[in-house]
Amino acid sequence: MQNADAVVELTNVRKEYSDSTALDGVSLTVRAGEAVAVMGPSGSGKSTLLNMIAGLDRPTSGEVVVHGTDLGKLSETGLALFRRRGVGMIFQFFNLLDDLSALDNVALAAQLTGTTAGQARKRALELFGELGISSRRNIYPAQLSGGERQRVAVARALMNRPALLLADEPTGALDSKSGEQVMDLLLDLNQIGQTLLLVTHDERLATRCATRLIEVADGRIARENTLERA
Amino acid sequence: MTAVWSAAWAAVLRRKLQTIVIGVVVCAASATLVMALGLLEAAAAPFDRAFAAQQGAHLAAQYDADKATGFANPAAQATAGPFRQATVDTSEGEVFLGTLTVVGRADPGGQVDRLAVSQGRWATGPGEIVLNRTPGAAGRIGLGFRVELPGRPALTVVGFAHSVTGSADAWVAPEQVEALRPDALQVLYRFAHAGTAAEMAAATAGLPRDGLLGTLSHLTVKDKATSELGVFIPFLMIFGILGLAVAVLIVANVVSGAVVAGLRHIGMLKAIGFTPNQVMGVYLVMVSIPAFAGCVLGTVAGNLFAKPIVQDAVEGFGVDDLSFAPWVNLVAALGMPLLVASAALVPALRARGLPAARAISAGTATHTGRALRIQHWLGGTGLPRSVSLGLGMPFARTGRSALTLASVVLGVMTVTLAAGVTMSMTAYNDAVRPHFTDRVELMAGPPPGAPAVRPEGVEAPAATLSDAEDEAMLRSLPGTTAVLAGTQLDAEVAGGTQKATIRFYRGDTAALGPRVLTGHWPDGPGQVVVPSRFLNQRGLAVGDTITVQALGNRTQVKIVGVVLTNNADEIFADWSTVDVLGPGTRAATYLVRMATGTDRDAYTAAVKAADPGLQVLPPRDGTSSTAVIIISAALVLTLVLGAVAALGVFNTVVLNTRERRRDLGMLKSIGMTPRQVTVLLVTSMGALGVLGGLIGVPVGIAVHQLVVPLMAQAGQADAVDILMNVYHAPLLALLALSGVVIAVLGAVVPARGAARLSIATVLHNE
Repeated sequence: MQNADAVVELTNVRKEYSDSTALDGVSLTVRAGEAVAVMGPSGSGKSTLLNMIAGLDRPTSGEVVVHGTDLGKLSETGLALFRRRGVGMIFQFFNLLDDLSALDNVALAAQLTGTTAGQARKRALELFGELGISSRRNIYPAQLSGGERQRVAVARALMNRPALLLADEPTGALDSKSGEQVMDLLLDLNQIGQTLLLVTHDERLATRCATRLIEVADGRIARENTLERA
Repeated sequence: MTAVWSAAWAAVLRRKLQTIVIGVVVCAASATLVMALGLLEAAAAPFDRAFAAQQGAHLAAQYDADKATGFANPAAQATAGPFRQATVDTSEGEVFLGTLTVVGRADPGGQVDRLAVSQGRWATGPGEIVLNRTPGAAGRIGLGFRVELPGRPALTVVGFAHSVTGSADAWVAPEQVEALRPDALQVLYRFAHAGTAAEMAAATAGLPRDGLLGTLSHLTVKDKATSELGVFIPFLMIFGILGLAVAVLIVANVVSGAVVAGLRHIGMLKAIGFTPNQVMGVYLVMVSIPAFAGCVLGTVAGNLFAKPIVQDAVEGFGVDDLSFAPWVNLVAALGMPLLVASAALVPALRARGLPAARAISAGTATHTGRALRIQHWLGGTGLPRSVSLGLGMPFARTGRSALTLASVVLGVMTVTLAAGVTMSMTAYNDAVRPHFTDRVELMAGPPPGAPAVRPEGVEAPAATLSDAEDEAMLRSLPGTTAVLAGTQLDAEVAGGTQKATIRFYRGDTAALGPRVLTGHWPDGPGQVVVPSRFLNQRGLAVGDTITVQALGNRTQVKIVGVVLTNNADEIFADWSTVDVLGPGTRAATYLVRMATGTDRDAYTAAVKAADPGLQVLPPRDGTSSTAVIIISAALVLTLVLGAVAALGVFNTVVLNTRERRRDLGMLKSIGMTPRQVTVLLVTSMGALGVLGGLIGVPVGIAVHQLVVPLMAQAGQADAVDILMNVYHAPLLALLALSGVVIAVLGAVVPARGAARLSIATVLHNE
C-alpha cells in the first residue's frame, strides 16, 4: 500500500556486491517537502542508498518506488528518462563538464529533455540569477571556485524542476565558507517546498538543513530521528 | 629482473587492451611488409641466380648463313657459336611439342650458356635430341621418347637440359642438325658490362650487320620471365608502406594515450625513485614487448600468405625453395620493432620529462581555448546535444584526433587504391578477354600447323562449306551484325627462341578485332599490329620491321600499330599477309556479333543447319589468374588495413572513454540514455570519418595514378585510359563513405561499452 504523499518508498531493499552486502533490507519513505539527511560511517551503505533512489544503481532485491514509479521495472533508457525530470543530483566533486561553460553545463540538462538551446540558456540564466552567480555564467569550471562550482551543480540539478533533489556529500569538497553558502542554499530550497535527500558525514549540514535524520550502519537503518532545524 | 623490466612487464599484463592493440597492428603491418619485400626479392632472384650459374648469354644473335660474313664483336668478353639452327614442326607427331628451335651443339658447356643437363645425357650421335626443360618441371614425355618430324629423321630424347635465356628448345649433335635442314646460325655473347639497356645497346652496336636476322637481350628475357611477378610489386609495396604508416600512427597514438592515461602511474614511478630515463625505459619496453611478438607472428604470416603468390609466379624457373632471402625476414623482424620504438619515443620522452608532482596530482590534461569555443558554438546549434557534444570531442585532444584522422585517411586511401586497382584489373581483363553475351565463336577446323589430334570423345570441327561460303552464310543469317574470320600460325620471330602466334583477320575488324591503341590496323600485306608487351619485351617500337617465319616461309613485316591484348607473344595481321606465310589457308574461326534480342540457341542451331561441320565454342571464361590473385590480395589487404585503421579508432575511443568516464557518468546521471552516449562517442569518430573520407579518397586516387602505370610497366604493358579512368561519381561517393564506415566500426564497440558504464561506480570512484 503506497503512501499518497510519499515521494520515495523503499521496501526491504537489498544490494549485494560480489564480496559484500551494501544494503540489507532497507525500508524507507520520504514525503513531499521533507529534507532527509542520511548519515553513517564510510562503507555503511549511504551512497548506495542514494544511488538506488536516483536510479543510478539497481537493488539485488526489494522495491524502489520514486514518484509512484517502480524503478526496478524500468530499462536503462527508462531510468535515464526518469533521471532527466524525476530527480536532480548534486555530487561531492561537482561533476561538471570541463569543456562547457558554466551556463552550458546547466543548460545541458534541459537540452536533454528536448528544450531548445535558446530556451535552455534562458532558464539557466534565471537560475544563475537566483543562485547569485550570474556574473560567472561564461566561465569554465576550471576557473570557478569550489563554492561556485557547487552552485552551478545545484543550478543544473534544479534545471528541470525535479520533485526530488539528491545530494551526495554536497559540502565534502568545499572550504567552510563555501560549505556554509551551500548549506544556506539547500535550506532555502527546502523551505520553498523542495523535497531534499542528502547523504553526508557533516553533522552540521544535517542538523541545519534536514528535518529528519537517518543513520545507516552495516547496510541497515540503525536509527531514525526527527530534527528541529538549528 | 630489473626494476624497469618489472614495471614494464606489469604494465603489459595490466593494460591488456593496449598490449593487444599494439600486437595486432604490428602483426598486420609486418605481414604486409614481408609480403611486399619478399615478392620484390623473389621477382629477381631466381632468374639472376640461374643466369649467373649458367654464364647466361647476354645477347643471342641469329644470322642468315648465306649472308653472314663474320660474328666477332669487339665488346664481347666471350662468344659461343656459331651454331647451326633449324626450325622443326611437330604437329604431326604423337605428342604436339609446337614448333621447335633446334640448335646443333657438340656439348652443353663452354664459356657462354653453360647448359645444365638435369636428366639423361647430352646428345652426341645421330638420332638423339636433348629437350629444354626447367629442372623439376613435369612433362608429358620422358627419356626414350621418339620425336616424329615430317620429312626428317625421327629423334630419340636422350636428355633434358635447361637454358635460362632460352637459347633453344632442343639441342642435337652438330652433324645431326644438318639433317634437320638448318635455316640460321646462332651466336651467343657475354659482355663485361651488360646490366642496363644502355650498356646492352652499346654492346650490340659492335655486332656484324651482314646477314643479321635478329637479336635477343638477356634483359628482355629477364623482364619477360619476371613480368608476372613484377606486376604485384608496385601494388604490394604501396600496401606495405601503407601498413607501416598505419602501424606507426596507431602505435604513436596508443603510447601517447598511455602516457596521458598513465600520468599518475608516471608520477608514482618517479615518486618511488625511478629516474627519468628509467621511466622512459618502462614506456619503451612496455610497447616493444607486444610489438616484437606481433612482429614475429606477422613475419611468419607474411611468409605463409606470400607463398602461393610466389609459387604461382616463379614456377617457370623451376625453383623449389620458396622461402625468402634472410634479409627480408630480418628487416621485418628487427625493423618493425625499431620503427614502433621510434614511434613510441616521443611520448616516452614526454613521460620522461614530466615533473613528478605534476604527474601524480594530474587528472587529465587541460583543454584548449579553441576546443571550448567550438564546444560552446556547437551547444547553440540545433543539433541534438549528444551529437553536438560528440562533434566537439575531437577538438579536446587535437593531437590524438590528428593521429586517428591520419589512420582513417590511410584506411580510406587503402580502400580507394584497392577499389581502383580492382577496377583497373577488371577493365583490363574485360578488354583483353572479352566474354560478351552477344557474340558467338565458331570453329571451322584446326589452324595450319596445329595438331589435328583431338581429345577422345570430342568431335573435331570440319567445315563442310568453303571459307567464302561459310562467311557469306553467316552474314546472311538473321541476327548477324558483324563477322570476323580468323586463323593463326605459330611463327618464329628472329632472335633466339621467341615464338609468337600470328593472328590473321578478315571482315569486320573494327567491330570485332582487337582494339588499336596507337597507329592503325594493317591495311595491306607486310603490315602487323602488336600488343605493347610484345614491343617492350623485345625492345621494339612502332615503325620497326621484324622477320617472322612460319610453315617454312620467312618474311619481313612492319609494325604499324599497337593493340590492347594481354599476350606478349601475339602478332595481328590483315588477311592479305596470310597469303605470304600460308598460301591457301582458310579461316579456322568465325566470330559473330548478334543483334540485340537474338536468341543464341536459335542462332547456333541455324549455323549448324547450314554447316554441320562448324563447331560452336562455349562462351569464353574471362577470368585471369593474375587478375584473380591481385584482386584477392587487394581485398585481403584492404580488409586487414581497414581493420587496423578501425583498430586505431577503437583505441582512440577507448582512451577517450577512459579519460571521460566521469563526464560520461555525469551525463548519464542527468538523464542521457545509453543510446545517446553511444551516439555521442560514435559521432565524435564519425566526424573524423567524414573528414578522413574527404582527404583519403583524392590521395588514394593519386596513389592509384602512380601505382597502376608502375604495374603496367612491370607487366610490359602501357597504362591505357581504361586502366587509369576507373573512378566514377557513384564509386567516389561510396569510397568517401568508407571513412565513416571505418570510424563507426572502430567506435561502436567501445562506445557501447561506455554506454553501459555503471554511473554509481564511476562517480563514486571520484
